[in-house]
Amino acid sequence: MAKTRDENFWEGVRWLGFGATFMFMVFPIFWMVLTSFKVARDAYSTKIIFTPTLNNFIHIFQDPYNFGPLLFNSLIVSFCTVAVAIPAATGAAYAFSRFQFRAKNGLMVGVLSSQFVPPVVVVLPFFILFKNLHLLDTRTALVILNLSFVLPFTVWMVKGFIDALPADIEAAAVVDGCNRFQVIRYVTLPLIMPGVVTSAVFGFIQSWNEFLFALILTNQKAVTLTVGLMGLQTDKGILWEHMAAASMLIMVPIFIISLTIREYFIEGLTMGAVK
Amino acid sequence: MRNQEKYVNWVLLAPALLILMATTLYPFIYSFITSFRHWRLTRSPVPGGFVGFDNYIRAFGDAGFWNSVWVTVVFTVISVLLSMLIGLAIALILERATKLNTMMKSLLIFPFAMAPALKGFSWRFMLNPDYGILDAMIDAVFPFMKDVVWLGEPYWAVFWLAMTEIWGWAPYIALVFIGALGALPRETMNAAKVDGATTFQVFWYITLPQLMPIIVMVGLLKTIFSVKMFDQVVTLTGGGPGRSTETLNYYVYNQGFKFYDMGYASALAYILVTTMFIFAFIYVRFLMKGDQD
Repeated sequence: MAKTRDENFWEGVRWLGFGATFMFMVFPIFWMVLTSFKVARDAYSTKIIFTPTLNNFIHIFQDPYNFGPLLFNSLIVSFCTVAVAIPAATGAAYAFSRFQFRAKNGLMVGVLSSQFVPPVVVVLPFFILFKNLHLLDTRTALVILNLSFVLPFTVWMVKGFIDALPADIEAAAVVDGCNRFQVIRYVTLPLIMPGVVTSAVFGFIQSWNEFLFALILTNQKAVTLTVGLMGLQTDKGILWEHMAAASMLIMVPIFIISLTIREYFIEGLTMGAVK
Repeated sequence: MRNQEKYVNWVLLAPALLILMATTLYPFIYSFITSFRHWRLTRSPVPGGFVGFDNYIRAFGDAGFWNSVWVTVVFTVISVLLSMLIGLAIALILERATKLNTMMKSLLIFPFAMAPALKGFSWRFMLNPDYGILDAMIDAVFPFMKDVVWLGEPYWAVFWLAMTEIWGWAPYIALVFIGALGALPRETMNAAKVDGATTFQVFWYITLPQLMPIIVMVGLLKTIFSVKMFDQVVTLTGGGPGRSTETLNYYVYNQGFKFYDMGYASALAYILVTTMFIFAFIYVRFLMKGDQD
């Protein structure tokens, strides 16, 4: 079928839109990447051609910025949050997906709604509690609070993956005399592994990017990377070349892991939200 | 077997429920109680007496509070509408599964996966009147805007704050819509085309109505997350110029952690929670309906 004038017109619009989307999505990131390789003088200009340097990446790990410990804190906090969240979420997701019980709907609504509690509401009481328990400025405090938003999301996400798995597959194992925990361990879990990994990655990213809790609860020992950026604001203004290098430190690991599991990532993200 | 099965679900649920009770239910109740108390953390480490609805009444006479409500409404409307529109446009552009489009879909993950705090800083850098690249681009196209200091003008500051949010969310919304578009039945669209409908007519009369349920869901979800937005206020504008980008969230934060007025901050937080839960309630109703089908 030959293309009509109408179709040709929209084909043109589509290509223009494609270009615009590309610019809009990529440019802010591209500019940060470029700036991270500039010396200070070039960073405060709109130059595209310049002599690149790696000094910014070295400087942020030295005094007075010391991003090394911050990187360590971010890693530990995100890792521990996921290590607690994923087993708990998988259990709950399985129960929601496979069992019928009276309180089920109410509990599911509860889990879902807990995502919508504004973080600032969560942090007020915990600030006081942690103050009394001398847990302010610790990684433990951050892990506990990060669970408040990572856990509900991962329950919902893992549930989506279990829902997609036909229950008949498990029935065969039950007939063979396995109890429920054995079924989960040997049948269900291996089959939903990609989904569990995706949820874990997503939980990791959310913790890694978390800002408000760390801003309020930490000031020295447990400061994470995102809050560390605040330290690059000086009396003379923001040190943009260092800011850009620190941004790379935050962005690049996230970009790499989300690309490696790209397909599941898109599926998992879009599945839970709308059905 | 039967007997054992009976409690398995509770064993599986227990860890998650216990953690959620501790991390969301506990603060939820604690804040509620605190919202009826007088408590300045700077003066006393223990809560003061109950003051009834005083904290809530105070909010209604507080110009700063009303300002933050207004800012939140403007921000939410701009960011929801534009991120949905741009998201839908991107979805229509990338709808067909060509190689190029698949590559572009991977790129869409980047703005979405970027830390919100970083979004604020990166846009602040690009908007700087002296060396910002975006400012330079806009000035080149619209010379009459040369003197506009983007983050120094109240309305522009809110707009750019919304822009950081749109930049991160439009790609996510696009991915959701691409999934939805792929699941639509093709027959009606093809039939309409054979009957001579234009591309726009097919979109407007066939595709769009079919997408409506998803558009509503995404709209609600985005509204909730827009009201929750916090990080970029700190990193893009710091609430300024003046108070023009102080969202309700940010205002609660200031009352609680700058002035350490726990009672008042809790009351404000509860006003925020109530508004959020109206949207959340509708969203959850829609979502659970889908779950039972």
